[in-house]
Amino acid sequence: MAAAETLVFHLSLVVGGELRDAAGERLGRVDDLIVRLGDEDYPPVTGVVATVAGRQVFVAAEQIVELGPGFVTLIAQQLDLQHFRRRPQEVLLKKDVLDRQLINLDGARLVRANEIELARLEGWYRVVGVDVSLRGLLRRVMPRALAGRVEPRAFLDWASVEPFTGHVPTVRLRVPHPKLAKLHPAQVADLVEAASHNEGEEIMAALASDPELEADVFEELEDSHQLEFVEDRSDPEIAELLGRMETDDAADLVLQLPEERREDVIGLLSPFQARRLRTLLGYDPATAGGLMSPEFICVYADATREEALERVERSSLPAESLSWVYGMNTHRRLRGGIALADLVRTAEGERLWNVLRPVQTVRADADLEEVARLMTDFDLTVVPVVDEEERILGIVTVDDVLELVLPEPWRRRFGLLGSD
Amino acid sequence: MELRALLPRLPRGRPRLRPRNRLAVKLIALLAFAGPGLVAANAGNDAGGIATYASVGARYGYDLLWMMVLITISLVVVQEMAARMGAVTGKGLAELIREHYGPRWSLFSTFAVLLANLGICISEFVGIGAALGLAHVPTQVSVPIAAVVVWLLVVRGSYKLAERVFVAMTIPFFAYPIAAILAHPDWGSVGRAVVEPKIHLTNAYIILFIATVGTTITPFMQLYLQSAVVERGLGPEDIPAERAEVATASVFANLVAIFIIIATGATLYVHGDHTVSSAADAAKALEPFAGRFAEALFAVGLLGASLLAAAILPVTAAYVIAETFGLEKGIARRPREAPVFVLTLTVLLLVGAAVAMIPGVPVIRLLIFVQVVNGALLPVTLFFVWRLSRNEELMGEYRNGRVFDAVAAVTVFATGALSLALVGLTLAGKA
Repeated sequence: MAAAETLVFHLSLVVGGELRDAAGERLGRVDDLIVRLGDEDYPPVTGVVATVAGRQVFVAAEQIVELGPGFVTLIAQQLDLQHFRRRPQEVLLKKDVLDRQLINLDGARLVRANEIELARLEGWYRVVGVDVSLRGLLRRVMPRALAGRVEPRAFLDWASVEPFTGHVPTVRLRVPHPKLAKLHPAQVADLVEAASHNEGEEIMAALASDPELEADVFEELEDSHQLEFVEDRSDPEIAELLGRMETDDAADLVLQLPEERREDVIGLLSPFQARRLRTLLGYDPATAGGLMSPEFICVYADATREEALERVERSSLPAESLSWVYGMNTHRRLRGGIALADLVRTAEGERLWNVLRPVQTVRADADLEEVARLMTDFDLTVVPVVDEEERILGIVTVDDVLELVLPEPWRRRFGLLGSD
Repeated sequence: MELRALLPRLPRGRPRLRPRNRLAVKLIALLAFAGPGLVAANAGNDAGGIATYASVGARYGYDLLWMMVLITISLVVVQEMAARMGAVTGKGLAELIREHYGPRWSLFSTFAVLLANLGICISEFVGIGAALGLAHVPTQVSVPIAAVVVWLLVVRGSYKLAERVFVAMTIPFFAYPIAAILAHPDWGSVGRAVVEPKIHLTNAYIILFIATVGTTITPFMQLYLQSAVVERGLGPEDIPAERAEVATASVFANLVAIFIIIATGATLYVHGDHTVSSAADAAKALEPFAGRFAEALFAVGLLGASLLAAAILPVTAAYVIAETFGLEKGIARRPREAPVFVLTLTVLLLVGAAVAMIPGVPVIRLLIFVQVVNGALLPVTLFFVWRLSRNEELMGEYRNGRVFDAVAAVTVFATGALSLALVGLTLAGKA
């Protein structure tokens, strides 16, 4: 990192230091540093808040010539007195960032800023990183004279962290969406669950511009947290979110809603979505019917390999729902299935009924144990759910089962208000 | 292994799309709300608390009952602020102190909480040993078993299970009203004592007065309550319900304390037995006047209270450490996911149980030490609770109202001053 070549110093040593004029005379005490959060990786210092003769004043960056541990030196002999006022996108480092939580985007976890590291970089003083180590915290408890001797060690590069700024009135929507989008939706969900409600709202707000990612994150959120972020939304907003989620996860979310809102929300979905959701909701959630996803590909058994593959190509379903293609006879009875990989490998023009294999199925009222046992015994990743006439109703994929059979303490990582 | 044994419990039956009877929903919600407030308030009626209340009754009869009314109001005010802050900010008290008052205050309170909680934890295990000792179970058997049970519940159980067990542990508290009734008090004089302050201007009276305040309003109660509210995921919309819960719980807990005073006041005081040094002593002393049944009830109450507090104290210490250092936290984490949290818990339980098993532990001296640490910590905690909950930037529209804020200020300063006075008296060797 470029900052390593220049002198890196601690915020906590600048704050509390002397405000000096050009001649080196003491004018007052430095209270806080102001930086502007923007597109730059290392936010520049845009001013200093200081106490001069008992009054709190603002010193703009243009008036500062040097900044270092224990002092801020001005260009002029005179101080141009201004009152401090928050400007857009500016934060006070000590008040708003130090000791608070940040998102470490590299590890996708929350960290606490025990110290903020500054350096002169590209011609001006900038924030270059945060120290999240215990060492950084203990140094701040030590007397100033001792603390100054402790050299900064490894710290987190500022480019890979994002502060929460919901408590700063002049900064809007800071957590930038592009950085979050690099994380897996499950990682974003973990962050939301680990953060406080307001911080979680900040992350969710950053996702608002990307409804697809937002829906993916919702699918990964634990039930109680889903409710937390859905409660305040209007029925149409929830309906829109549900529309983007996979039907089985959407059904779980509907179950989280207060009973009096469920009908209203489902009523706002497209008739197609509403019908699927209602079908799923009609099943006991602890059975194959409640676990299954109504989205799968089932073609007539006399279709050709190409016709079946075309259906797969046109489909917008997630990959796990497409790992098997099913075939049915003219009475819509399930005749068998073929793994997608095997389908790709069959000879061109082959009719499906030549290659279909018999598959294990379950009834909609089979309980979770039965489904899990069947999948374990036959090494299945997908099981079709059929009715009395052997018509396929949906498929249960291994991810849905795994989620439930994992012993509870293994599943919960944050929050621990798990459903029971 | 049978697969079913591994499966978590799943909701059975079809989901409802239409609302149930609204009144039924509300009643269920109210019951489910017997939660963090009740746990926090009742953990205050622990072994040390019972010993103090029993001494109050044995020494001064009903003369200090009037004070319990004031203490209850103070407790409600303080606990309400902590619960409201948890709901509004989604952060624990230790976390807010760190963010608003910097690392020095934060480390001071963390260290003090750790020390104080360790001390109280030891006294809880002593209490457990004494309660079961009345049933002739040796300490060397009862204490390790209790420690293991508490550890498993907190580390391996789920949050909801832990909270349910905590709430259930308060059921033995109903033993005290029954014990009080068995003691046949003169209800007329009890009633008069509640409304009519009787002040003795003696050293012993003043010290007992302050000790009662200190044992009823203890720093860990605010710290636990706020963290538990956060862990429960309560938000601003839950404030009215949580407020009601905190108020009823505080009143309930202090009614229990009042009944302890009545039970001992009607027997030990009346019969001239003025010295009670521990809760188990009080139970034994009750027997000749109120019968074996009263003694057993007293022991059951002591056991429940001590178990409850033995679980809450390490949890609180672990919350505080995790919040101060920004670590992952939460009840029922697996050790790998929140190592420091689980380590703190384990060390506190281990040391607490081990020390309590040493024959001839100087319990009284230990309690005095705990009292000093707590006494120094309480003004700090209360001051921060008050300052933070009136902070507009932090609390917005949920900050303290004007009248409430004035009451809170009086409570905080009066309680804080009393608490410091006790520290001074103890250090001067007067207590």
